[in-house]
Amino acid sequence: MTLRMAWRNLWRNSRRTMVILTAVAVGVFSMIFIGALMAGVGEQMIRTSIATLVGSLQIHQHGYRDDPVVENTMEDPSEPQAALASVRMPDARWSRRVRVSAVAGNARHSAGVSLVGIEPEREAAVSFIGGAVTEGRGLSPGDPYGILVGRALVGTFETRVGRKLVLMSQAADGEMASRAFTIAGVFRAELEATEKQFVFVSLAAAQEMLGLGEGVSEIAVLLPDGADPDPVARALAAALPERYEILTWRELLPMLTAYIEMNDTFTAIWYLVVFIAMGFGIINTLLMAVFERMREFGLMRALGMTPGGIVREVLVESGLLLAIGMAAGNALAVAAVAAIGENGIDLSAFAAGVEYAGMPRVIYPALSFAGALEANLTVWVLGLIVSLYPALKAARITPVSAMARV
Amino acid sequence: MVMMKRKQGLQAGLVLLLTVIGLLTGIGIPAGMGAGVAGASMLEDGARIVRESFNHMRGKSSVSTVEMIIHRPDWERRMTLRGWTKGEKESIFRITAPPRDRGNGTLKKGSEMWTYSPKINRVIKLPPSMMSQSWMGSDFSNNDLAKSDSLLHDYDHYLEGTETHEGRTVYVIRSEPRPRAPVIWGMQRLKIREDQVLLEQVFYDEDGRPVKRLASEGIQMMSGRMFPRRMTMQKVDEPGSYTAIVYKEIAFLDTLPDRLFTITSLRTVRR
Repeated sequence: MTLRMAWRNLWRNSRRTMVILTAVAVGVFSMIFIGALMAGVGEQMIRTSIATLVGSLQIHQHGYRDDPVVENTMEDPSEPQAALASVRMPDARWSRRVRVSAVAGNARHSAGVSLVGIEPEREAAVSFIGGAVTEGRGLSPGDPYGILVGRALVGTFETRVGRKLVLMSQAADGEMASRAFTIAGVFRAELEATEKQFVFVSLAAAQEMLGLGEGVSEIAVLLPDGADPDPVARALAAALPERYEILTWRELLPMLTAYIEMNDTFTAIWYLVVFIAMGFGIINTLLMAVFERMREFGLMRALGMTPGGIVREVLVESGLLLAIGMAAGNALAVAAVAAIGENGIDLSAFAAGVEYAGMPRVIYPALSFAGALEANLTVWVLGLIVSLYPALKAARITPVSAMARV
Repeated sequence: MVMMKRKQGLQAGLVLLLTVIGLLTGIGIPAGMGAGVAGASMLEDGARIVRESFNHMRGKSSVSTVEMIIHRPDWERRMTLRGWTKGEKESIFRITAPPRDRGNGTLKKGSEMWTYSPKINRVIKLPPSMMSQSWMGSDFSNNDLAKSDSLLHDYDHYLEGTETHEGRTVYVIRSEPRPRAPVIWGMQRLKIREDQVLLEQVFYDEDGRPVKRLASEGIQMMSGRMFPRRMTMQKVDEPGSYTAIVYKEIAFLDTLPDRLFTITSLRTVRR
């Protein structure tokens, strides 16, 4: 009964109702859609960073993260490898690397780079380098002189596949180590900075050049998409002595973690701002409606309706309004996400700026059930709360004062 | 074609010379000078000429006063340095003028290099990352100094032919890096005069294009041997920029005390 009355009351002034419905729909749509875009950017940044050698978590010699020098090498990798075998990590893959700073040079140019010695077959499952080679060939296991160089670095150095690149670094005994590698292949990465920073050789070549024997600098573990690295990290830390440090991607990429948190905060603020704007619209409309129907409320009171009943009446109307608006907004948001989801939003025009921020060049929205639920609940609950004001105003009318109004 | 004739001419001349010497000293020379043996002799001769020139230019030990001119299209900077070298592996340089840079120095022992600046009172051992950077702001890199004997160890030298300069024969030598030698150059070409003076050294990239060029001028008698008064290092693509080393004085000695080539010596300001 209340429901039927509420519904009819809504459409007594259809224009006004439509206006407020549109406001609610647009508000909900923007909350969900913008939220999805920002979540999408965040997720892509995480995925790219994890693929760019970070992995889900890493094992190092204690002190390596603060000072990634050749002295902080894990001399006996069998220890952490045994620990990895003992901890339960479904669908996890891991690879080991030597990673040091070096200077790469040819006849005309030189630059500082990060020299990474990898095991090509294992590494392909853990980071981006597996599928990233676009010219030449990949590294073969134990390749003594092959090197993979990023496309941007090949451009800066004015060189190509087949030419040599001399790498200089500090060996384990403190002496200078240098070796002439031959560019075997060129790789492409999401960010130009990645292409300029890393050069890849085989693990054996790096170990030999630096006099490391069997030592490795780090072991990177990749867990399936979305898996929480913290429990695995704790289990590994328990299985290994103090000498090792185990860090998850959140600890390894504090900037990214901070960015994600900032994203979440920003989304919350956005929700609040949208809601305040919407909220005023709702209150305004409802107040107007209530004042218009003063005589009617007075009559209802005179006929025996309790104040509580009036409040319920108004709230149900408001609730219906919100429900329809939310439904429309959700539908719009889902449609928009589906439309954009295919090709993403192409920011290539701002490529330089986007690259600087570390963001991907094409962003895809990521609609999550939790995000949509949050937006809907916010609007529903807060919407009902703000409707209380006009509702209570309506309930306080006495039949006498109502009739007195003309 | 002309090159080959010259090579053959040179080989014929060498054979003649060696045969005469051989006959005089009783050493037999194999009768057939086929292509293979000629090739090997080209290599040996090349290596020998380079080594002799290197020893000549470096001396057993030397003390020198040098003015270094760093010239760019819109500015020029001059420094006076005092340098001591011993053998192939040890050298120490100190800036004596201008007063602003006075006391700065570079010590090299083997493949290690240290720099010292009295202003910050620090001796810094050069890490690999600084080796490709310029030495004291010039067109020479730290590597050029540290690995100056790399020419002897990392390359195969082939005698390509001869020219003349100031009435003397000049050997043109092509130096190719040995396989897997950690040198950035694709090739070097040296012009060494018969009195062992290095006239020119051109550094080429892997495509055979010249990158930089070291040239000697004003060759005269200094401390008992023929030596260039001035050597200029220049990037081929930037003719307006060069670094010139002018030898104000140089003395070639048999030996110098070891204590000169220590970090303590680097720190101590000498007259």
